[in-house]
Amino acid sequence: MQKLLYDRFSSKMYGVCLRYIENPEDANDVMQEGFIKVFKNLSKFRGEGSFEGWIRRIFIHTSIEHYRKKIKLFNVTEVVENTIEDNDLNVLDSLAVKDILKIVNELTPGYKAVFNMYVIEGYSHKEIAQILGITEGTSKSQLARSKGVLKKIIDKRFGKTQ
Amino acid sequence: MSMQDFKNKLYHFETPPPEEIWPQIADELTNEKVIAIHGHRKNKFLFYGASAAASIVIIFLGSVFFKKHSNSISTAERTQAKESHLLAKKVKDSISLNQQILNSIINNPQEKRQIVSKEPNSNVNTKKYLTVAGPEGEPVKISPKVATLIISADNEYPPKPVWSKEIRKWQKIMLSSTVSPTSANFVDMVQLAANKEIMDND
Repeated sequence: MQKLLYDRFSSKMYGVCLRYIENPEDANDVMQEGFIKVFKNLSKFRGEGSFEGWIRRIFIHTSIEHYRKKIKLFNVTEVVENTIEDNDLNVLDSLAVKDILKIVNELTPGYKAVFNMYVIEGYSHKEIAQILGITEGTSKSQLARSKGVLKKIIDKRFGKTQ
Repeated sequence: MSMQDFKNKLYHFETPPPEEIWPQIADELTNEKVIAIHGHRKNKFLFYGASAAASIVIIFLGSVFFKKHSNSISTAERTQAKESHLLAKKVKDSISLNQQILNSIINNPQEKRQIVSKEPNSNVNTKKYLTVAGPEGEPVKISPKVATLIISADNEYPPKPVWSKEIRKWQKIMLSSTVSPTSANFVDMVQLAANKEIMDND
């Protein structure tokens, strides 16, 4: 039963871990810790929402817990001019997912956490603030900063976007 | 590529984890199970045992304290109520007794005679002092000379002497008296006047 669950979700959850944690060794630790949590708390799953979503949340929380000490978030009050726009990402069309993942992994843990949670997972700023223990304003400012940094990385690697 | 596409690409990103992860998880689960079941039960028993013991101690101490506290409160209240009741009773009794004694003295000519005819060198065995109950129930000795002065008009406590009426009466008696007072003491003068009144009545 546990092996079946592992086989079914391990690849997806490893992908989640790698989005939050760049270092493979740390990602492996989080994988192990995450699945232990899943198996221990299986009885707590009430069938509200998808089972995959429930497992995914466990892995997101475990990843964040693992990197919490490294995630230092500060409220950025200045206007971020280099915010990435949707059309800036056209260059990424031709890139493989792993390459995009590498770019995202160049973000600092704080930026990466907010970017992943907001853009990829679809969490609201309120939810992010609760999970990370920050204010909604900080979450918003971190997202803007992370987009700006992403734009700089893309510009640097692929030349000026647009 | 929009942010939505960006999301879709990365959201569904999956890659197989290293093969050594599952054996580690399986080992941890096996060890965890043995330890967890044993430790969990043990901890559970310890927890419930400690909770029960703590509850019993708390209930026992609480009941002892409550009983002691309520006893001390009720005892104090009872004592206070009893004391105040006794005091009120004593005061009432003393007033009543005083009133009775004074009334009997004033209204009984025989008694009055005994009192006023008392002389220091007299052979008549009369009372030197009257003993009445004080406000606290204690015995108070008063001179018979002033006994008639102490009369309460309305049974109030402390008794209010009705001086003016008595003094007017004595003034009248003294003015009509042919016996010259031999003493400069006012009380003796009153006594002389009273003697005269008794003699007149006789």
